[in-house]
Formats: sequence, C-alpha cells, structure tokens
Amino acid sequence: MKSIEFKYIYSFIFLIVFIVAGKNSFAQNATDLRFNEILVHNETNSVDDFGNRSSWIEIFNSAYNPINIGGCYLTDDLENPTKYWIPTGNPATVIPTRGYMVFRAGDSPSQGIHHLNFEIKDAKILALFDASGRTLIDKIEIVQPQKPDVSYGKKSPDSPDWGFFSEPTPGSNNNPHKEELAGENFAKMDPMGIGMAIIAMIVVFSALTILYLIYNTTGRYFVRKASVTRKKKDADKEVIHEDVEIISGELNAAIAMTLYLYQMDVHDYENTVLTIQKVSRNYSPWNSKIYNLRKMPK
Amino acid sequence: MGTFFEFILENIQQFLSFTAFANLTIGHIIMIAIGLIFIYLAIAKDFEPMLLIPIGFGILVGNIAFAPGFQIGVYEEGSVLNYLYFGVVKGLYPPLIFLGIGAMTDFSALISNPRLILIGASAQFGIFGAYCIALALGFSPTEAGAIGIIGGADGPTAIFLSSKLAPELMGAIAISAYSYMALVPVIQPPIMRLLTSPKERVIRMKPPRSVSKKEKVIFAIAGMLLTTFIVPSGLPLLGMLFFGNLLKESGVTKRLADTAKGPMIDVVTILLGLTVGASTQATTFLTFKSVGIFMLGAFSFIIATTCGVLFVKFLNLFLKEGNKINPLIGNSGVSAVPDSARVSQVVGLEYDKTNHLLMHAMAPNVAGVIGSAVAAGIILSFLM
Repeated sequence: MKSIEFKYIYSFIFLIVFIVAGKNSFAQNATDLRFNEILVHNETNSVDDFGNRSSWIEIFNSAYNPINIGGCYLTDDLENPTKYWIPTGNPATVIPTRGYMVFRAGDSPSQGIHHLNFEIKDAKILALFDASGRTLIDKIEIVQPQKPDVSYGKKSPDSPDWGFFSEPTPGSNNNPHKEELAGENFAKMDPMGIGMAIIAMIVVFSALTILYLIYNTTGRYFVRKASVTRKKKDADKEVIHEDVEIISGELNAAIAMTLYLYQMDVHDYENTVLTIQKVSRNYSPWNSKIYNLRKMPK
Repeated sequence: MGTFFEFILENIQQFLSFTAFANLTIGHIIMIAIGLIFIYLAIAKDFEPMLLIPIGFGILVGNIAFAPGFQIGVYEEGSVLNYLYFGVVKGLYPPLIFLGIGAMTDFSALISNPRLILIGASAQFGIFGAYCIALALGFSPTEAGAIGIIGGADGPTAIFLSSKLAPELMGAIAISAYSYMALVPVIQPPIMRLLTSPKERVIRMKPPRSVSKKEKVIFAIAGMLLTTFIVPSGLPLLGMLFFGNLLKESGVTKRLADTAKGPMIDVVTILLGLTVGASTQATTFLTFKSVGIFMLGAFSFIIATTCGVLFVKFLNLFLKEGNKINPLIGNSGVSAVPDSARVSQVVGLEYDKTNHLLMHAMAPNVAGVIGSAVAAGIILSFLM
C-alpha cells in the first residue's frame, strides 16, 4: 500500500519537474521575443544604413540569454503568416540578452536581413511567428492612423501597457530615463534600511527554519529506525544467549581448554618460524648502470 | 665619447625613474607597514596564518610603487596579476573555496541537533545592522550591502558579494572581513562574558547523537535544494558548499573530495589571498571609505555576536531544564569556521573544566556559513 502511495508521489513530483523544466526550456527560445516599439510614419526620425527614413519595428528579447530570431516570420497578415522569412545562419539575427533588434519596413529585402518585404503604413496588425510558421509568438494591433514621428511602444520592456512616444527610441528602452537600479529604488523607499533588514532576516530565518524542520523530521525518523534496529539486535542476542545456556558447563570448559591449547600451540609454533619476505627487484636494463656505460674497448 | 656618456646617463636616469623608490608615496609605506603587520600576526601570533600570510604578502606585492603603463599592477589590463585577479572580480574563487569548505566540513553536529541551525540565522543580524549603519553614514545601498556582509564573518562570501555590488570597495571589504575573522578570539569573549550569567555559562548540553551516512547524504542534497529554491542568487556559494559536502559524505568520491578539500582549496586560497592583498594598492585603497568600512566591520561583528548570544538566551526561555543551550555557543553563529566555535570552547572551559562546547558550537558555526550565504543571496536579489 505504502509503495503504491510513494509511486503516486514520485509520479506527481516527476510531473511537476517536467512541467517546470518544459516551461523553462521553452522559455529559452524564440517564445521570449516581444514587439516593443513601432514607428509607422518616419519623417524626421532615424535613417537606415542606406540613408532612407522608413517605418520600423523593434523586437525585444525578454529572456536572460541571447536568442537567434533567424528562421522566424514577420507578417502584417495573419492569413499569410510566412510573409517575411528572417534568414538563418547569420550572426546579425542574434538578439543579445535583454537586447533589441530593429527591422525596417518597405519592399526592400535586398538591402539586408533587417529590411522587410512589406510596408506597415496601412497595416492593422503585426505578428511574429516561430520557425514552423504556425505558432504565433507575439502580435500587436496598430491603431490607425498613427501620427508622424510618434512611435507606439511598451511603457517598459516587461510591461503589458502600450503608449505613444514623441521621442522614438529604435534599438533601446522606450523610457530610458525612468529605469532605476534596484538599489536606488530601495534607498528611496527604505532610506534607513530597516525594511530591508526585517525582510531579509525573515527570509534567512524562514530558510533555516525550513531546514531545521526537515532535518528534525528526518533525524527523528532515523533515530526511530536506529532504535528499532537496536531492539532487533538485542532480541537476536537474547536468542543466542538462550542457545548458549543450553550448552552444558562441561562442554564450555572443553571448548575453552581446546581453544587455549590451540592458541598456546600456535604461539609456540609461531615463535620458531622465521618469516622471510621476498624482496622483489624489478629489473630493467634502463636502471642498470652497466648498460648505461660505454664498455671499455678490449 | 661625451654623447655616449650622455646616453648612458639618460638611460640610468630613466631606469631610476622606473624604480619603486622614485614612485614611492607615504600611502605605499603605510600599506607596506600594514602588510608586514599581517605577516607578523600570522607568524608570531598564529592569527589565521593561512589567510594572513597570502594577504599580507599580497599587500606588499600590491604596494610596490611601479611606474604605470608596464602591465605590472593588479589593476593594469593584461598584467599577470590582473589575470589572476579576474577570479576575484568575477566571483570565481569564492565558490571554489566553498566547494573545499563543503568537502572538509562535518555537519554531524548540526544534523544531530538541528535547532542549533537557528542560532546561525540569528547571527546574521550583524549583516543587516551594519547595512543600516552604513546607509546612515552615507554609503550607497549597494555599498552598504557589500559592507554589511562583513558581519557574516565569511571571507569568500564577502568577496563574492562585494565583487558584484561594489567592486571598487572589494579590497577594503576583504581585508576588513579577514582581519576581524582573525581577531574573533579578541572581539567575541568580552561580549560573551558580558551577556551571560555564571549559571548560564556552565549549562551542560546533551552529547550529540551519532549520525548515519544516509542522513548526511540527505542533508547535502536537501540543504542545497531548499536553500537555493528560496534564494536562487545564493546558488554559486550554496550549490558548491553542498556539492563539496556530498562528495565527502557519499563515500564513493573520496578522490574528488580529497582534491576539493586539499590541493584545490589550497591553490584557490593562495590565489585569492595574494590577489586580494595586491588589490589594496595605496592609490585606490587609502581612502576615508576604507576607514569607514573598517569601523563598520567591527560593528557588524559585535552585533552578530551579541545577537547570537541573546538569541540562545531567548530560546532557553522556551526550553525545558536539561534541554537548555549554553549561550556561550551563541557567538558561533558567525561563520568564522572554526575560530568562533573554538572561542566557545575556550570560554566555556574557563568556567567548567569538564564542559566541552566545541562539538555543540560547530553546529551554529556551520549553520552560520549557510545563513551568511543565504543572506548574501537576498542582498544580491534586492540590490542588483
């Protein structure tokens, strides 16, 4: 009964582990790519390598590892998900950890892999599909009409909220001025450090209390087990003791005398024996002086 | 002929300008004196020689006043010392030290009396007490976090955390942490005596029970999983600590355990000590901040010891007679292994010649190692 219960527990643990591991391994792939900002009407904003001011789309890698976007598809038509295939085998398609990549719109794919084969000026939707061309990774619905030189983007890279930005920022955080280091945030919210001290000590105590509870439980289990084993051993000893009692005193005396005589005999005999251990010499011509010296000519 | 002599003279002058005598400053002299004191304390007074000799000599190495631009100093990119210092800057050495510590530590005392783990937690108040004081003194939160960890009394943890949070203060923090660790026999006993009554000092504790191999193996695996699930940022330290312990306790990887606790930890200790010492170049080290760090280090040790002892007294309020804990082991919650446990033993013997506290004190001592690594993980996750 117990083994069956354990079987269920193990199966459950394995299931959880697989779900969590599966989720994480999936998270390390293109599924972590997100649309971050778009500029539909580019009149005075950034120019591409060819000096053109075109609309652009910015994609953010929300993972904590680099992701290769090569092989994925960008489209403005959900009915045609494989509209623009991002070429593979090119290091320029790797988006660094928490980094950005900008794609220029316009029918100009010959200008490089970051140039799409479609325009987005009248697009109502933009979508990113994975390498299979079937799984949607992310999409945005574009509210038309868009103002010139005003981009539409996420308020912060991990935020679900979108807004308009009069200062478009292709290839970087949409709101660079507002991002503060965690430490600075702490200093603002908790200038004395009391909050940090309390929270941290609670965590330290919780962690070590959990350890205490677990080791206490396992310790009790092992102590109980050891006491059961000890009792069993004691019981066995008693059985042996009972057996011994059956043997008569004469017999015991005879055994003792025999052992005594035998030991004495062995002792005397041993004293007369010289043990010579053979000292092995691992001979090799390489360590012989004779072979390393030139012989005198006769 | 005259031109030749001029040429030779010019070269000699250039050579002289490159010597340390020409570049020597009062700061270098002070630092060399500190290095010599460290070496003296290690050799003559036997204060943590394994650490103070490499660090002390490293201070001498780091304060040879060379002319910059020749790829000599620890901060000069491309220099040999800089390559060795890489392991400090990137936090590479501390986890390797922890691997060795894990492989040489016997957690039996802790496993047999798990409630002593909590003393290891209480001593971490020193870290956060020093953090609050550092903030009040005007240090930035990241600097305060890095300074506070000195109270954990764990050199590798202090180096690991300061390399992440305040690399510019790492030299001062490491020197401070190791100095106070060496001074544990001086700092702790007066606090322990002050906070305990004569009756409390002679409390006898039950001898620890024997712990089976299975329990030790479970301890290593469960300890790693639990602590790192709660504080994943402590993984480099805690993961290596418990891994080293598993190598030891599994019984089937004796060679690996021997390497981890022997040659490997020795090599890393040499590199860590020497490069940390060398990082105390007078030009970067002798600042008011360093003085502040030294003061805060002392405070954090005092707070940690006080909290450890007081926490045991607090626990005793709830424990039955016969199960009480001797408060003299409270100081061992700081993770200066095994010095603080040795202090408990020495002070305990002063009051009862037959009351040996060493084995009991080892439990909070090693729990302190775990606690300070957890605390470092929390600080990292909060401030980075």
